[in-house]
Amino acid sequence: MARTALTFTLNDAEAAVFVDPGANLIDVLRRGVGDLSPKQGCAQGSCGACTVLIDGVPHLACLTLAETVEGRRVETSGGLADGPDLHPLQKAFMEGFAAQCGFCTAGMLMAARALLDRVPNPSREEVIEAISGNLCRCTGYEPIVDAILAAAQEMQGNRRMMR
Amino acid sequence: MAIHKGRGFAAINYPIGMNLGGDPAQALVHSTPDGKFMVALSAIDLGQGMKSVTRQIAAETIGVPVEDVYVDTADSDTGPHDMGSFASRGTHRVGNAVIRAAAEARKQLLEAAAEELEVNASDLDTDGRGNIHVKGAPGRSITVMETSQAAQFKQGRTLAGRGIFLIPLSGTDPDTGEMTPVSCFAHAALVIDLEVDDETGEVEVTQINSAYEVGRALNPRLVEQQLIGGAWMGVSHALYETTEPYYPDRSHGPVDFNHYVMPGPGQIVPHHIAVLERPAEDAPFGGKGPGEMCANPVLPAVANAVYNAVGVRCDTLPITPEKILRGLRANGGARPQGRR
Amino acid sequence: MLTVETYANMAEAAGAVGDRARYLGGGTLVMQGVNYGDQSFDRVVRCREVDRDIRSESGGIRIGAGATMADILASHEVEFLHQVARRIGGPAIRNMATVGGNLFAQNPYGDLTTALLALDAQVLRIGSGPEPIESFLSGRSRPRGLVEAVVVPRVSSGEFRFAKVSRVKPKGASTLCLAVWLRGGGRPSDPRIAWGNMGPTPLRAKAAERALNGASLDEAGIAPVLAVATDGLDPQDDALASAWYRREVAAVHLKRLLLRQGVR
Repeated sequence: MARTALTFTLNDAEAAVFVDPGANLIDVLRRGVGDLSPKQGCAQGSCGACTVLIDGVPHLACLTLAETVEGRRVETSGGLADGPDLHPLQKAFMEGFAAQCGFCTAGMLMAARALLDRVPNPSREEVIEAISGNLCRCTGYEPIVDAILAAAQEMQGNRRMMR
Repeated sequence: MAIHKGRGFAAINYPIGMNLGGDPAQALVHSTPDGKFMVALSAIDLGQGMKSVTRQIAAETIGVPVEDVYVDTADSDTGPHDMGSFASRGTHRVGNAVIRAAAEARKQLLEAAAEELEVNASDLDTDGRGNIHVKGAPGRSITVMETSQAAQFKQGRTLAGRGIFLIPLSGTDPDTGEMTPVSCFAHAALVIDLEVDDETGEVEVTQINSAYEVGRALNPRLVEQQLIGGAWMGVSHALYETTEPYYPDRSHGPVDFNHYVMPGPGQIVPHHIAVLERPAEDAPFGGKGPGEMCANPVLPAVANAVYNAVGVRCDTLPITPEKILRGLRANGGARPQGRR
Repeated sequence: MLTVETYANMAEAAGAVGDRARYLGGGTLVMQGVNYGDQSFDRVVRCREVDRDIRSESGGIRIGAGATMADILASHEVEFLHQVARRIGGPAIRNMATVGGNLFAQNPYGDLTTALLALDAQVLRIGSGPEPIESFLSGRSRPRGLVEAVVVPRVSSGEFRFAKVSRVKPKGASTLCLAVWLRGGGRPSDPRIAWGNMGPTPLRAKAAERALNGASLDEAGIAPVLAVATDGLDPQDDALASAWYRREVAAVHLKRLLLRQGVR
């Protein structure tokens, strides 16, 4: 079986891996380069657990043919923390009890990250829309929406302090 | 078109643990060389907070900071036997086993400290911050870490404990049928408000009000998290989810999560919860655990609310728009039952 | 064994598409098959050059087959389609799913295609002339080459209406969807009504279109339209709803769309 050489940027580091024909990105991230932060849920595009950012916008890694990310920038929740310092979204999820089993969390974080990159001060409706492709079985969504709004506020406060 | 408002009520007495008992839980506790304590379990934490609550229970019992306790679970090869995470039994059954194991470990901790301080173990107490001191003389103290290291490297002693909790299997009296199905009940009452569209049969839940009696809420945020998420799942079971939409005909089963419908984040509704704390006598620090009953009363309350709104009584789940619309057709239209 | 073939341009890719091959656009349809070991194809054909352009031309607005739902939402040219694209998938799906792929999406998907049908869109395939979308849809099960673009008329937002009925909010699969092009001002002239999930492909409701021609958009004016709302439609049972339910509520949703009463 002819394998394809693939290089891309993963959370600001270069990743290089050989991929099988038809391999999807979630498989390559988890098994190929060992980033276990994105989860594979349904492999059908209906759960959102594998949501990653490609060139800054959310994609479903399970429905992304891995070789199409050649030369592109892939971001996963594994790259959110800055060393020991959690990203404000991670902190807000933790403090707001926005995870139970945690299987949706990685995808939720990346869907939220994509929103806050684009809309720093989102409305509740915008948050709901942003996570509408991500299923959660445990929380009833409300703590997740609250956590994303709290993180947005926190990040705005940080930006004000830096000015 | 008319939108009909409906309100439904349901109450629940929920038995904690396996019916008739006979479902043991075990825990093993041991100290590590750096003065921390490890709790080994087989009971699974699948998001409900088992690890958090058993960690709190162990820390409280041993008398050390919660940060100094680790819970290692989910591997039935390395953990002692447990019947499992079901029947809302985690806090009650496993928590009780952890108390027993932790109490034994505490006893050994104090004995080891007594040897170091050259006092009687019964004169010692913990401060919950990592120190052991002579009662009434806080100056005469030793840290838990020093004690743990002395026990292991000097005294050659383990600081460990074994715990099992078993409600013995209740027999049934062959003449009267008398039995003791359960030792501990939790209770709840719940009110659902919803709206029914009488042209499409569509239902939107608008508000949930509930009161839960779960013994002592050992971790109030976790309890609230369980109750909110559980109510969502109850609404989902009541109105949306099915693997066999045309049961008993098994065709057209959902093939993905777009076909297996569940309410989305756009359908979050206000849920006001009152947690009533009546610590249970045989429960760990009085905590019973919300578990399954956070979802269960939602189903009859929704069914009652639909009936209240349009007079359609659905007795199979889920209560789909189609079932309601067929009921409306059979009744010749909506028959709102009004507020009582 | 699966192979992936990558071509430099659409003409080459079109030449490679054939039996036991699938063209990979956004991946939302083809990759599901790949992930689950679909044995009906063993070649995946892709192209480095992707046409995502949305631009005005003399005959209307040309939308490249590679344009995603997010591309539609970012384009002022097709503002009237924003109401449709916004209701498809979550943000990740909208960044991936393409117009070309939507033309082939099976029920309960294909909301955009339903809108395109109501707009009398033309489908352009590599190496052949434009084909009306209605005939394209009736023959879409037979592989007939690669779609490169669709062309839609320039429509003002007011005269094009779309409703998606889904049980999951804000994002879920359609129980049914419908699109109405009310050509003209107050009284529609030669209007179009298209339904999604009311047949094996999106279908036009031609009897209802005739009844709507010249009708006034009020309760009395649309009554004859609603009476024939589902004539010629062929809804099926699926996990989301039965054929019976779809037939029962279709006219209700058409009424609400025409009277702008909104979807719950």
